[in-house]
This record gives sequence, structure tokens and C-alpha cells, in this order.
Amino acid sequence: MKKALAIQAKGISKTFHISEDSHNTVKHRLFNLFNPPRTKKVQAIKTMDFDIYKGECVGILGRNGCGKSTLIRLLAGVFPVDTGEINIYGSTLLMNLGVGMSHQLTARENIYISASVLGLKIKEIDAIFDQIVDFAELKDFIDTKIKYFSSGMVARLGFSIAVNAGADIMFLDEIFAVGDMKFQEKAIKVFESSWIEGKTVILVSHSMDVVKKYCNRTAFMKNGSLMYFGDTDKAIQMYIDDNH
Amino acid sequence: MIVSIVTDWFKRSNKSERLWLLAKIEFKLRYYENKLGLLWALIKPLMDIAIYYVVFQIIMKQDTPQFASYLFIGLICWNFFLESTTGTVQILNTKKYLYEYSNMNKLEIYVSTLLSNSIGFFFNFVMFLLFFNFVERGPDHSNLQTLWLLPLFVNLYILSLATSLIISNIYVIAKDVTQIWQVFTQVLFFLSPILYPLNKFKDALPNFDYLNPLGGIIINARQTSMYGVSPDFKLFFFDFGYAILLLIFGMFLLNKLGSKAAEKL
Repeated sequence: MKKALAIQAKGISKTFHISEDSHNTVKHRLFNLFNPPRTKKVQAIKTMDFDIYKGECVGILGRNGCGKSTLIRLLAGVFPVDTGEINIYGSTLLMNLGVGMSHQLTARENIYISASVLGLKIKEIDAIFDQIVDFAELKDFIDTKIKYFSSGMVARLGFSIAVNAGADIMFLDEIFAVGDMKFQEKAIKVFESSWIEGKTVILVSHSMDVVKKYCNRTAFMKNGSLMYFGDTDKAIQMYIDDNH
Repeated sequence: MIVSIVTDWFKRSNKSERLWLLAKIEFKLRYYENKLGLLWALIKPLMDIAIYYVVFQIIMKQDTPQFASYLFIGLICWNFFLESTTGTVQILNTKKYLYEYSNMNKLEIYVSTLLSNSIGFFFNFVMFLLFFNFVERGPDHSNLQTLWLLPLFVNLYILSLATSLIISNIYVIAKDVTQIWQVFTQVLFFLSPILYPLNKFKDALPNFDYLNPLGGIIINARQTSMYGVSPDFKLFFFDFGYAILLLIFGMFLLNKLGSKAAEKL
């Protein structure tokens, strides 16, 4: 039986043009029409192809600056690709120390907006609203604007929305660093019970224990290239060798 | 392309709910954060009417019949356009939290913000109808022709959405579009038949009502809701054409420039 695709990446690559002086006004562009800005090309992602199937938990390993975060932003549809194409089947959510929330809005409004962006209907949100609030331990602050929250409270709220509402495809970028120890334990428990089953998860972590425990397949990246994608143990071994 | 996007939205059911949710929260943020609330939406055009009334009717003795109502309907159309364009130049920046972490369609952000402005527009339009028919009474009344305002508003909405898409996406690569747009709106304001009687406007600038996509909407809005006659259809189709063309260009810019907003802003 052929497994259903979650993400299909064909020949994707991404290059950032970093200029020293930013030509981002009309005036600047006009005055420097014949003197284009010097840009430095940084090839963040070199051409690669791969498929990710529904229900898989995929790990991504690699040293700092090897393009992991850029890759998941491409896969989540947040950044456009320069070449190739990505087909995303479902809603995506990128999580790194919190999800997108407006600091002008209250916790309640943020819950409704974020969950709605993730594809839930208002009735469905009503049903899980208390669950989200309880999990985030923010019962007394539900109608407070989150700009008055501590960073830990914001992170807990973001995590709680993601856990309870969840997109079809979740990108988790070093998320097990949220909250205090008690909250982390709770987070891991929920992660194991609900996400590993059913959802497609792409996990970026430097913790090899986490990757080894959850991921069926793992990618190893180096300098923007996909060096290996397959068996988790082998990818971990390559990562360890690279660090020595 | 646009039709397929719209049908796709309504098929995946939660999109219409989401648009309304975003619009409601936007509306609440704008008007209920201060003590006067929704009254602010009305005070702005009322103040403008008072100023222009004094200048044009009392000082310059222009003698337009029912000039306050004449200004009222013109200004609410203009203000909707102004708020939906000048107010959204930085929308990709202020609403970054919505698309930075997910693959949400950016067009929804625009549609919902303009939807929230529409609530203000219709509130003001009701105020206009009350004012025109009961306060500043003249020989004409609103009649069934007033319903033409709905298609005219759709036209205004598409035009504002298109303009908003164009300038806010240019903002991604050129930040000073804000200043340029401010000057441009000043020019457009004085080149639209908001303050002057229509015949003077047409004499001084023949055929200009066909070049100014906002001018025709204001002319037709007055014709239908004040004078009770059907709109100038030639003008009506011209303006719809402009709005659609600009919208296509705006969508093109959104795909070209807006897709890079997450990395550039």
C-alpha cells in the first residue's frame, strides 16, 4: 500500500542575498540605479528532493547554521523556495518557543485566532477552550492582554494551543525547552500521547535521545546539503562523527 | 484565478468563520480600546463635514443644495478607501504573527481587515440615510435606487483591496511608499468630486471621471442614494473594470513580493 504524502519537495533550494547597505526605499533605489548594492550570496539550502508521508515523525539533525531552520520554514510554506516546488498537504504549524500571537490581544482572542488559523471551527475551539487554558495554567489571566504576560506564560500558552489545536503537519524546533520542569514533563507526556499518533511531525533537536526515541526516519544536514535521509541510528552516527 | 480562490475558501468551511473572527477582533481593537467606541467612526466624517461645509458653503458660497448630505456620502466612501489603503500599508508587518508560523493565505488578512472597515462604513451609511431623510430634508428622498449602493460598495471594496495589496506589497521592498502614498492620496482627494458640485468638476476636468476610479463610485453613490435615479452605467462598468484590473495586479504583487514578507520584514 502506498502511503499518503504530507510533504513533497522536488529540487528545492534557497539562497539568501544579504546586502551590506539595505536598499529598501524608493529614494535609495533611484539614487543608486547604476550602483546596485553589493550582496553576499548565502546558499542556505542546496538542491534536494524528498518526500514525507502522513503520520511520520521525521527528525532533522545537523550542526548550528547548517540550514535546519531555513529548511523547516520552506517546508512549512513560510518562506518561498527559489527553485523547485513544495507540495504541502494540510495546514502547517511552526513551533519554536511559541507560536504566532499578537501581543495586543488577550489570551482568549489569541486562542481563538491561532486555533482558527490552524483550521478549527469556532464550535471546535469552544469545545477545547478550557482544555487549552487549563493546560497552559492561565485560568486567572484569560482576559489579560498577553503583552502583560511573562515570557514563560506566553510560551506556555503557545505550546498549549499547539498541543490542543494542532495543525496537520507540525514542525517542532527545539520545543522541549518551554516552561519549568513540571510543565516540560507535562509537555512530553502530551507529545507522546497525542502527536506521535496521527499527526505528521518534523522534529529539529540537538538532543539525540529525543530524536532516537521518536523518529522513524531522520535527515542529517551539513552546510545546506541533505547528506543522508533514512534510518535514524545511521543519521545519529553521522551527526556524532561530524561533531568530532 | 480569483474565482477559484473564493470557492476554495468557502468549501473549506472554517475560512469564512475565520475571516469574520479576524474582522471582529480588528474592529474591537480599533473602536473599543477607547472610551467613545464606535462613535469615533462617526465623529471623523462629522468633523470633516463641518470643516468643508464652513469653507465651501459659507465662505466660498458654492450653493450646492443639501451640501451637508452631499459631503456626507462622498466622505464616507472616501474614508473607507483611505482607511483601507493608508491604514494597511504596513499590514504585512503588523499582522506578521499570523503568517510567520503557518501557511495561512495572506489574502485572508487583507479581506478580514477590510471587512472590519466595512462594518464602520455601513454604520456611517445608516447615519447618512437618517441625516439625509430626516434632518437635512430637501426635495429628494431615498428610494429603491438606494439599493444600488450594495454593488457600488462591492466595487469600492475591490478597489480598496486591490490598492491595499499593491501598496502594502511594495512596502516589503520600499519602506518609503508610506510617504509617497500620503502625497498621492492628497492629490486623489482633490481630484475626486467630493467637495465640488458635479457640473463644475466635469467642466473643469472633462472625462476625468472616467480616469479616476474612485470618482465614478462617488458620483454614482450620490446619484442613487440622494437623487433617486439609476447609476451612470458606463461609469459603473468602467470603475468595476479598473478595480478588477488593479486586483489582478495586486494579486500578482502578493505572489511576487508578499511571499517574501516573512524573510524581509
